[in-house]
Amino acid sequence: MNGQVEDSILVRAAQNGDVDAFEELVRRYQTSIYRVALRMLGSRADAQDAVQETFVRAWRALPRFRHDSAISTWLYRIVTRRALDRIASRRSTGTLDEVEVEAGPDPAQAAEHQERLRAIRRAIAKLPPDQRAALVLREFEGLSYQEVAQVLGASVPAVKTRIHRARLTIIQQTSSWQ
Amino acid sequence: MIDEAERLPCGARLEELLAQVADGAPPQDEAHQSGCPYCQTALRRLRRAWTDVTDLASEPVNVPERLTAQIMARVRVLVGQTADFILLGHPRGETRVSHTVVVRITQRLARTIPGVVFASARVEPQNSPLPNRVDLSIRLVVTFGPALHRVADAVRTIVRRQTPRLTGAQLDHIDIKIDDITR
Repeated sequence: MNGQVEDSILVRAAQNGDVDAFEELVRRYQTSIYRVALRMLGSRADAQDAVQETFVRAWRALPRFRHDSAISTWLYRIVTRRALDRIASRRSTGTLDEVEVEAGPDPAQAAEHQERLRAIRRAIAKLPPDQRAALVLREFEGLSYQEVAQVLGASVPAVKTRIHRARLTIIQQTSSWQ
Repeated sequence: MIDEAERLPCGARLEELLAQVADGAPPQDEAHQSGCPYCQTALRRLRRAWTDVTDLASEPVNVPERLTAQIMARVRVLVGQTADFILLGHPRGETRVSHTVVVRITQRLARTIPGVVFASARVEPQNSPLPNRVDLSIRLVVTFGPALHRVADAVRTIVRRQTPRLTGAQLDHIDIKIDDITR
């Protein structure tokens, strides 16, 4: 199966019980969904669990999917709720996994850069969950304010406020600003 | 410390400057901003700081290797709990083949036909006294070019020949719907 087949056809097939079509949807969206979970939860193990729960829930709920939004929006909604539930129930480990990045030509500069990125990750992990979700969807997934509002079930002005607050907090933590 | 309502000495709101940097939003007062040292300094610092955020956002995230397999294993367990079966009688016991298996074999066969990009099959319930007799409906996405009815005929032929041989199902109707074409 390849990218020539539109999502809507795969979704309809999956709604009819086609497991292969659903697997193709998983392959298409697991990276985005995992990225959201990882940025919100800060732990690979938690993110992996949240992504599995997301797709299992999606499979169960597919018969009720009405095609009134993109499948990606619907999946973002599920993973965001899963991540927020995990944060609320404190099942998240609260520790941040480091991402291994190859050192560039100047190791000292690369180390300094990595330290700045770590500071941002730490700052994101400390954000209130609703701000964290909005920021991750906007800055890491590139969703529009409208799309973020749709995913989070909030108004656009409310989402803008959350994102602005989150941005200010993040900037405050960066050494480049201080 | 930055306060969200903080204004620069010139009166410009930091929040607006940050939206300008992060969203590419136009300046609220371009004439003021272009000549204001406070705004220019703040914008420079914000751009430098925001670069780290965009660097983090563009950092590749490696999905765990077996994530798809783990997800699909859980989904297949769910499918197995609800799937119907065809029943193949035998004097020394019975064999059940899940509709899911019949469907997946049918899909694979359909996808071997040139021009078929995507095939999705479904077993349709049939009020037959024979527990291995089923109808199939198949939906296709086909490349632009080949005559659609010929593609449909070829799919019907291979499925009628091979699905019973591989699964033991007896096929009655095979309905085919072509949902879309691709380039």
